[in-house]
Amino acid sequence: MTEEAKEMIEYILRRIRKPTLVIDENTPLVSSGLVDSMALGDVVLTLEDLTNTRIPPGAVKPKDLDTVAKMFATAQRVGKPRK
Amino acid sequence: MVRYGNLIEALEAAPGERPFVTAWVNEDEQETVTFAEFRRRARLQAGVLRANSVTGGDRVIIIMPQGILTMTVFIGAMMLDAVPALIAYPNDKVEPSKYRFGVAGVTANLNAKVVVIDEEFPDEILGHVSLGEETRLLRVGNGSGFGREEELPPSPGQRDGVAFIQHSAGTTGLQKGVALTHTAVLRQLAHLSQGLKIDSATDRIYSWLPLYHDMGLIGCFMLPMVCHIPLVMQSPLDWVMHPETMLQVISEHKCTLAWLPNFAFQFVPRRTRPSRRAQYDLSSVRVLINSAEPVRTSSMQEFQNAFAATGLKAGALQSSYGTAENVLAITLSDIDRPSGPTRIWADGRQFRNSHRVVPVSEGSAGSICFTSSGRLLPNHEIRIVSDSGAPLGENQAGEIILKSDCLFDGYYNRADLTAKAIVDGWYHTGDLGFCVDEELYVVGRKKDLIIVGGENIYPHDIEEIAASHRAVHDGRVIAMGVYNPDLGTEEIIIVAEVESEDLLANTVEIEREIRGQVTAGLGVSVGTVFLKPPKWIVKSTAGKPARSATFEKLQKEHPELNVE
Repeated sequence: MTEEAKEMIEYILRRIRKPTLVIDENTPLVSSGLVDSMALGDVVLTLEDLTNTRIPPGAVKPKDLDTVAKMFATAQRVGKPRK
Repeated sequence: MVRYGNLIEALEAAPGERPFVTAWVNEDEQETVTFAEFRRRARLQAGVLRANSVTGGDRVIIIMPQGILTMTVFIGAMMLDAVPALIAYPNDKVEPSKYRFGVAGVTANLNAKVVVIDEEFPDEILGHVSLGEETRLLRVGNGSGFGREEELPPSPGQRDGVAFIQHSAGTTGLQKGVALTHTAVLRQLAHLSQGLKIDSATDRIYSWLPLYHDMGLIGCFMLPMVCHIPLVMQSPLDWVMHPETMLQVISEHKCTLAWLPNFAFQFVPRRTRPSRRAQYDLSSVRVLINSAEPVRTSSMQEFQNAFAATGLKAGALQSSYGTAENVLAITLSDIDRPSGPTRIWADGRQFRNSHRVVPVSEGSAGSICFTSSGRLLPNHEIRIVSDSGAPLGENQAGEIILKSDCLFDGYYNRADLTAKAIVDGWYHTGDLGFCVDEELYVVGRKKDLIIVGGENIYPHDIEEIAASHRAVHDGRVIAMGVYNPDLGTEEIIIVAEVESEDLLANTVEIEREIRGQVTAGLGVSVGTVFLKPPKWIVKSTAGKPARSATFEKLQKEHPELNVE
């Protein structure tokens, strides 16, 4: 697991206020209800920071962010370099 | 606009070359249609519907994603004098069987002629949609093969006919279709146009609100359509994943007016990096109306402070109170008041104990600050009444009941529910509020409805799902909303008794499963699940779980729930 993925997992656990929960890169987050749509905005912002990209609106759906692994794959696929 | 015979007549009167709807996806992807082009596309959809035997009075259910196509289908149905009803599009979280239940309930209650879906409607959901024998499933798209533009007969101008049906959220809420006549909608829009001082030459509305919600449908679709002003719209999902884009769209398109639920006034500033705020220009904004949730001063202040450097006017943030049963709004604050809606401070203890508003000086210890939702729209009358229905005086909180010239026609096909809601001509809102100096302050809900991010959640729906878990004692569950100051909206909490004490050794797993089931069933997220030993929940004299008494007990064990 990359350092960025570890940072993302730590962020998500803080964001959902479940510090003792164990999740890995492939744990379903959106479809399981752990991360709701209100938290997705925070996740996208953090993903942009960790990958130094900008995720364009309209380019991603919640299912693209269902796991930490999918988040980074999505950023690689649709992310644009920051200006 | 009451001068128009019906809503279609108002659309037909719009200048054809004027931009109507801009669907904004990102800076490189957006589509604008003029009023003339919108009418053309709506007529095309009317042709499709007519080819599928839809005629006047037929109900048409529309389950499509936010966009111009959905709007043209909605108007196309009205062009045939059919009665459209928009319901929420399925999302990734909703369990197909629950969705099927909701759609089946609505189609059965409305006895719909057709259910219209888009070309992208997910097959895994479609396989679960069961419709009555008389109901057709119809896919529509922008493709030319779906129908042809037809010359439709002029609108008959039926002012008293039902124009469309609005639904509130939740599987229970889906059974309550609010039937609104053309007359009621046009009167409401006339009041709003007057109160908001709409100028068709200069105003432009921004919206991310879902069209199946009254604020999205009325405030951000019917209002611009009838007042002939442009609308710039993005999908709710795109917005919630990129809240900052609201600022980008308003800046790019110089929007002047938007409706927002309270939580958005916190949600946007907290997800916009301070270093990026100054790049936006909000100087075009005349009014941002806080509605659909109880108005909180702190949320509006946070937005105002965060974006003061963008040129946002001091008095731009205003408030309103309303309900779908009155089309949209009941009150509106004075948009010319430079300091925004009126605020008052009241003694907190007196208010909690007796629902009496005893004014105190600003910021006094133990005080509660209330933000006004404004004054009544013209031809509106409210009373504040006690549980027994007795009128209460000023400064006393009670249920808000309403009479107006734009009240709904009743719940479609549900005379039983209508009779409970409208008593002697007064609509019982179920909301609690009080009046001071002719301004209305809304403080909460008499019913136990939970509002999360402007979305109505019925506790019963949650309790039913949680109670089905094998570890939970049947019927020993309470769901409620608790205000979360970090989110600026309510958060759902569940209190559930386990079948036996030993199950409390495995709370993490049980909690995860309950949370997942509720999310799958209702598409909402649960804040905290409190698992308690048998017989922990307080019972009422009737033997049912007592909501408020249980919450008080919970607050004693979990002081973090004591939020002002």
